[in-house]
Amino acid sequence: MALDIRRFIQRFVEEAADHLPRLREGVSALEQGHADREQINELFRAAHTLKGSSRMLKLVPITALAHSTEELLSALRDGTLTATPTVTSLLSQAVDGLADFVSRLAEGATGDDLPAADEALCNALEAAALGQLPPLPITSAEAMPSSAPALPSSSTPPSSAALVTESELRLSDTVRVRLDRLDDVIRLMGEVLSSHHHLHTLVDQARELSTTLPAEQQGPFHAFHRELKDSVLSHDSLMSDLHDRALQMRMLPLSVAFDPLAHMSRELAQSLGKQVDCRVRGSEIELDRQMIDRLSDPLIHLLRNALDHGLELPAERQAAGKPPRGQLIIEAWQDADWVVVEMRDDGAGISLEAVRQKALAKQLVSEEQLLALSEQETLELIFLPGFSTKSMITDFSGRGVGMDVVKRTVVDELNGDLQLASERGSGTRFTLRLPLSLAMMRVLLVSVGGVNLGVTAPYVSELVECSSQAFIDAAGQRTLILRNEFVPVVSLAQLLELPETSSGTDTTLLLVVHQRHQKLALIIDSLIDERDMIIKPLPAHLRYLPLVSGMVSMGRNALVSLLHVPALLEATRHGTQRANEERASAALAKRILVVDDSLNTREIEKDVLEAWGYHVTLAENGRDGLAKALAEPFDAVLTDVEMPVMDGFALTARLRENEVYRYRPIIIITSREKEADRRRGIEVGADAYIVKGSFDQNNLVETLQALLG
Amino acid sequence: MHILVVDDDPLAGEMTAALLESQGHNTLLASDAMEAVEQLDAHSDIKLIVSDMHMPLVSGLALLEMLREQDNHLPFILLTGDTPDTTLRQTPGLNACLRKDAELAWNLDAAVKQTLALNG
Repeated sequence: MALDIRRFIQRFVEEAADHLPRLREGVSALEQGHADREQINELFRAAHTLKGSSRMLKLVPITALAHSTEELLSALRDGTLTATPTVTSLLSQAVDGLADFVSRLAEGATGDDLPAADEALCNALEAAALGQLPPLPITSAEAMPSSAPALPSSSTPPSSAALVTESELRLSDTVRVRLDRLDDVIRLMGEVLSSHHHLHTLVDQARELSTTLPAEQQGPFHAFHRELKDSVLSHDSLMSDLHDRALQMRMLPLSVAFDPLAHMSRELAQSLGKQVDCRVRGSEIELDRQMIDRLSDPLIHLLRNALDHGLELPAERQAAGKPPRGQLIIEAWQDADWVVVEMRDDGAGISLEAVRQKALAKQLVSEEQLLALSEQETLELIFLPGFSTKSMITDFSGRGVGMDVVKRTVVDELNGDLQLASERGSGTRFTLRLPLSLAMMRVLLVSVGGVNLGVTAPYVSELVECSSQAFIDAAGQRTLILRNEFVPVVSLAQLLELPETSSGTDTTLLLVVHQRHQKLALIIDSLIDERDMIIKPLPAHLRYLPLVSGMVSMGRNALVSLLHVPALLEATRHGTQRANEERASAALAKRILVVDDSLNTREIEKDVLEAWGYHVTLAENGRDGLAKALAEPFDAVLTDVEMPVMDGFALTARLRENEVYRYRPIIIITSREKEADRRRGIEVGADAYIVKGSFDQNNLVETLQALLG
Repeated sequence: MHILVVDDDPLAGEMTAALLESQGHNTLLASDAMEAVEQLDAHSDIKLIVSDMHMPLVSGLALLEMLREQDNHLPFILLTGDTPDTTLRQTPGLNACLRKDAELAWNLDAAVKQTLALNG
């Protein structure tokens, strides 16, 4: 019999991460005199569980300390002892000691590596349980700071009686700092960095100045210039290091947000009559304090939705063949410069049919629009304002209005991304992708219409230089074919109502921005710079500007607006819809299925066809297209070739095998222009093969008209 | 054949189940007495119950008493974090009372073998 103890020790560490904060809160409540009987019971159970688990795992020092703590808590529970400052001080020391042991386990120590429990502390705890308080306190209670500490205190091992004198002289390894002082330091660092950048300009000016000096003075000046340049460069390094460390001081582990969630999940589940196991992973990942503050509310809302809407009642779960207890996992991990936070459950999943019905009932979308949505797009309707599918309103999830607020917080305030995946009967998963900090990011500075603007790097896909001849017209929308993808082209100057500057040359510079699946090509005049910059939030009186998300300083005095890319994408989409409505006609009612894995391409082809009076349904890959084609008849099918799950060739072949589609027009639109590919397209049964490079809307529509008669 | 493990502490329950499975038994897990009763109703091949002693609301002893009152005479092994005293050991209907410590692996193995042998 050889059990893998390490796996269980890891589980023990995770469980202790639930119990220890609860013990701390309970001791704090005892200290302030408002802990009730049930809270003391909870403390006792936490200590009891830690003792039992550690004993099974041979974690002897933890068992001993937990046992002594349990004795004292038992006396408090029985009422034979009252919570005096001496008692709460002993309990605080016990919790600190337990936390220290757990930290060592988390760092890889085994049971044999743990130091022995502090005998003096254990004896003091058990003596206190019998009413024998020590004549003098072992350590004086630490005064509580007036504001919440910005830095988590590292736990120090409990001191023994023999070392009382020595420990009184030893200074703490940590210092509590008020948060506003840290913010002041970070703001000053930002100013220093901006000022320092100005020195580079001076170095450049000095070099230019040297050309105007008489020949005999240029030698000494070159020496001066070189020394100045070296000095500025070495300060670059110091500044960067200092700023990084200043920002790091404001980093906190995600456990400050996750631990309350785990506790809350059990309380909510109990109130709802449901059963849940909540697991927290990756709570040691660190984020900027500002990020964590704003992250708590979205996470709480997602948690409430998971418990209220997602997890079924135990009887329902058993009827579905599931364990009565639901699983809720909150996990975080680092992905390059991003932190990913995921919350997933094994509940009922989101009912697409319920979403559709509610969207129709609330008139958020029309029936025709619903038919055109992919399953994923249907799911994401829950992010629209006012959406709610809960059949009965409960205290915990209200009317479901929060989901759009959750998304807005993550995307707009935190510059992050929120993704949703759900499978009926299996569960739901929300994935948040967040930058490490809002304070400093890589920024591209561009010039448009004589105005300098910034875009944060996570939104930038690429820069493209091309001739304006490369654009095609699609339903009145200028479009660029970028590899296999259709990307709308918009003049940034026009979008921002800035003066257009026509360049003498025929080349156009495009800044391609993206957010999840959506891309947009912005015509700009020039790229000025790209570097890490301090982002300053907009002052209150400027926050009404939807297209601006912040400011950065450039040089000594100039401020540059940061563009809010999600708002740009939204503004562009509205403009397109308005133009599209003007061209709609009801002359023809032929139904077309468009299959393409690129959202941009699907939308453009749909716009083109609807502008000519066709009714369009979209599919995002070959299998999706096949399922939709078999579900209802279409007059024609347009399909891309390179798609995941099932490519366009396979889709065409499968459709030709079906009686309904044996002779229906099928058009392949692809970037593959080799003759072999074209021949293969014809072989699998396509009626037409259009290469995207030679794509234009008239060609497509003429082909359709020819094939449809 | 299954052994039903009842424990309100998920870690302890899973460790107990892992011990039993490493000894060749199939296990089912329940986190409280109500869930244990549900498992007993749902699975007809449970031959032995291993239960924690201290659980909120309904303790292991109360679960045992409830089962006996319902004419359920499945073998029952009790686990406790404290040292079992003589009175506890001699509880009617109880086949064994073991301490949850590092020796549980050996003690539980012996107790399960003996209990299953006695109860055919």
